[in-house]
Amino acid sequence: MYTQFFGNFLLSRGVVTSEQLIEAIKEESTTHIKLGTLAIHAGYMTASEADSIVIMQTHEDKRFGELAVQGGYMTEEQVNSLLKMQKPDYLLLGQILIEKGILTNTDFENLIVDYQSEYEIYDLDMATEKKEVVTNMLKNYCNFANHPEADKAIHYLYLLFNNLVRFIGEDFTALNPIPCPEYPTNYCISQQTYNDTLSITSAIDIDPNTAVAFASRYVDEPFEDFDEYVKASLEDFLNLHNGLYNVNLSNDFSLELNLNPPEIHHYDVLSLSSNAYLFPVIYPFGTVNFLFSF
Amino acid sequence: MKLEDAKILIGDDSILARKQLKDVLTTFGGKTFFEAANGQEAIEKFTAEKPDIIFLDIVMPQKDGISAVSEICKIDPNAYIIIVSSVGTQSQLKSAIEAGAKDFIQKPLNTEQIKSILSVKFEGR
Repeated sequence: MYTQFFGNFLLSRGVVTSEQLIEAIKEESTTHIKLGTLAIHAGYMTASEADSIVIMQTHEDKRFGELAVQGGYMTEEQVNSLLKMQKPDYLLLGQILIEKGILTNTDFENLIVDYQSEYEIYDLDMATEKKEVVTNMLKNYCNFANHPEADKAIHYLYLLFNNLVRFIGEDFTALNPIPCPEYPTNYCISQQTYNDTLSITSAIDIDPNTAVAFASRYVDEPFEDFDEYVKASLEDFLNLHNGLYNVNLSNDFSLELNLNPPEIHHYDVLSLSSNAYLFPVIYPFGTVNFLFSF
Repeated sequence: MKLEDAKILIGDDSILARKQLKDVLTTFGGKTFFEAANGQEAIEKFTAEKPDIIFLDIVMPQKDGISAVSEICKIDPNAYIIIVSSVGTQSQLKSAIEAGAKDFIQKPLNTEQIKSILSVKFEGR
């Protein structure tokens, strides 16, 4: 999982111009990922080893994989595992920039390391114990198994708990989720992220005192009243989480979702889909109710 | 031009996000701020105040940030617009740049990234 799209990272590093980036993105749909790119990313080969195979290919009519095995850089099993693996979008973007001569293989190798160290969310955000609790909770209480997009829902919820740890704190207890097609709200913020095949609505419902404490932790400023800044903090948390989810789907699955602005519900009934759950999360300062529907 | 002398427009529907960005820009010397809570208001403030730099969110009610970038660039092709958004996906980044945005900041805000963006446009940063 990443907190920033690779193209955005390249732009902010100043290694590509916005024009070069757009040209590269446009070529993605007609370009195939190469084995050399995958081998560098998997750490099986260095950039210079991959370059030397490409040079060999200019005077030997053999596939990259064959030459890499012949040269002792990879085993056949490794070649096969690379061909079968899920290919993150950012690798393709990197490869196109290399082919255009904007990056060298070595630049790309170094940039990937920096990108991962700066923007990958490692599981370390969540302690192993907590990770197991969340994984078991999702597996045992959410009946998504038959849904074609179940993996995206699990990804979403996993990221949500990760973001709670990252932005609010790890000192929570998550109660088991409860099926919840309708929900009477206190003060509630909801937001929808969607495309043609997937629609996820999530919401935070919270009482005013808990909201003040939640916002104080999120913004790292001591709020005292349930004012517009506190309300905006709740919206901001949900919006940030959904934005990061969209970045992840774009980066890892080449899937683009649209995000609607957050909506406020005050003492009304929120109607959700049949695949909707309430996740009560208990912090020392109060209970935050998360609603998830897809 | 120095950031101290610049007119800065911040367009975001979240009062909190506007305040946080304003706080960061103030620490770098920013003094003159205008705020807008949606894309339409951002266009109106742009027309009225002619700011030197504009920070715009993407997901906003009434008119989103990308549409606002296009319209502002029609009014002034040299408008200096930076997108600040939590939705830094490939298609959003592409649309923002094609519409005329100069850079893209992914939320949560990273002070170093803002500093480096300011150094491209302003002296002495």
